[in-house]
Amino acid sequence: MPARNHKQWMADPNLPQGEWVDSRIYSDPEIYEEELEKIFKKTWIPVCHESELSEPYDFRTTTIAHEPIVITRGPDNTVRAFLNVCPHRGMMIERRPSGSFLEGQPSGNPKRMTCMFHAWQFDMKGNCVYISREKEGYQDRICKEDTGLRRLRCEVAMGGFVWVCLDDKPESSLEEWAGKPFECIRESIDAEPLEVFHYHKAIINTNYKLWHDTNSEFYHDFMHYHNRVTGFNDEYFARKNIGFEHGHVNVTSFEVNYDEYEGFESREELSFPKFPPNQWFMIDLFPGMNFNLRGSALRCDIMTPLGPNKVMIEFRGLGVKSDSAKDRQTRIDHHNSIWGPFGRNLHEDLIGVTGQGATMKNSTEPRRILHGRHEDNYIHDEIGLRHYYDEWGKWMNRLPSDPMQEYKAPAVAAE
Amino acid sequence: MSWKRVCSANDVAANSLKQFDVDGVPVLIANLGDEFRAYPPLCPHMEERLEESGICEGGLLTCSKHLWQWEMRTGEMRGEAEKPLLLYELKQENDDVLVNIEKELEYEYEEDSEEDDDGFWD
Repeated sequence: MPARNHKQWMADPNLPQGEWVDSRIYSDPEIYEEELEKIFKKTWIPVCHESELSEPYDFRTTTIAHEPIVITRGPDNTVRAFLNVCPHRGMMIERRPSGSFLEGQPSGNPKRMTCMFHAWQFDMKGNCVYISREKEGYQDRICKEDTGLRRLRCEVAMGGFVWVCLDDKPESSLEEWAGKPFECIRESIDAEPLEVFHYHKAIINTNYKLWHDTNSEFYHDFMHYHNRVTGFNDEYFARKNIGFEHGHVNVTSFEVNYDEYEGFESREELSFPKFPPNQWFMIDLFPGMNFNLRGSALRCDIMTPLGPNKVMIEFRGLGVKSDSAKDRQTRIDHHNSIWGPFGRNLHEDLIGVTGQGATMKNSTEPRRILHGRHEDNYIHDEIGLRHYYDEWGKWMNRLPSDPMQEYKAPAVAAE
Repeated sequence: MSWKRVCSANDVAANSLKQFDVDGVPVLIANLGDEFRAYPPLCPHMEERLEESGICEGGLLTCSKHLWQWEMRTGEMRGEAEKPLLLYELKQENDDVLVNIEKELEYEYEEDSEEDDDGFWD
């Protein structure tokens, strides 16, 4: 194939509509803001794991679609989510990423969320419990009963993850939204309480969907030396990508031959409860979360888009809360030697998506990104990406291959 | 009557507060310059540790969080305060400061609402 001039380069590929996307969906600021509004404010987003706020009065803060959020565990052990915003003058109430409200702070009181601006206080249920000099200023015109926090839908489910939906009336319950793709590992992750043993985050100059795309296709195993040597065999190629309603995908399992990688041994001595050793399932949830169970360790990626070409990814590794010290160490070793600082897979993925981020900036010429591999849904089929972008198109009412057009169904229906 | 030694007179600087543990009971000692007083350690308003939040000046104790104030000698309310300070009986024997602890003094605080909010989204 000879090199192409501008007109040839910009021409649509010889594939049916739905099998490529226009790169503006990864770079256009207007589309980005619209995604936050139409997708991130409407769908269920996992924000952390319940083991990260294990004690009453523990909290974590986060954001979804620009909205600051505080997650608390009450003295009744219930996990609740609120906008992290004071009803008085709109100040962010809690500025720490995580901690406990049990101890007072220089401008806060024990067992309360305190807005340091004017000392208004809220309990773990979001009730306003103190307005400084209330009667003097408001007489009886406004009182604590009128000034509770904005509560958000929040559920703990699917292995103990904390899920928040900014929409008071979500289109689906969490169970209906995510239950089916989780079925393949649900029994294992819900058998016993889990615990986060690894956390790191990365802020990357790329669009959040590009990271999700990479999680949703295995064709890029040509970049992962580890996966090639431990995996490429008949069983590897026999895995299927399965699409679920709402744009989710999962990948069926196979037995990974860890001992084929120099310095590694089989991992059959430790697995998750009710989970056969050395198996590997992967779940990709719309609009951008990944759950990855490799026998002994569970990895979860949660993405927070920060801009059209910037995303924060939080990586967590989880084991079983009741682990012995030895088992926990084994899980940590297994997790970190693939996905942690001593592994190579994450770094390789980062090279891929930052390379894409570098070529797809707002002012760059739009181009066609191909999602057209068909292999009967087997592992190198790009069905996961096509399935995702069909869902994206519906929520956005935009056509992924020409985002200035309204959504229409792909020429070849996704299976 | 159960008199217990808390500290030496020179353990607490003039016009300051210091918290001690007396056989498991936390006691806040105030040095007014010429006399000592003993209180429970927390502000009766919102469970603040007065050792950290309290300011002693001119015989007045002020909790810096919400400006509740008391007469240090008597515990009487001043300013914004809505509850008096409780006091332990205290005496000084030579250099020793002693308090009489019958039982631990504690304030009643507003508890979190017990109201069930399970039906919030129904």
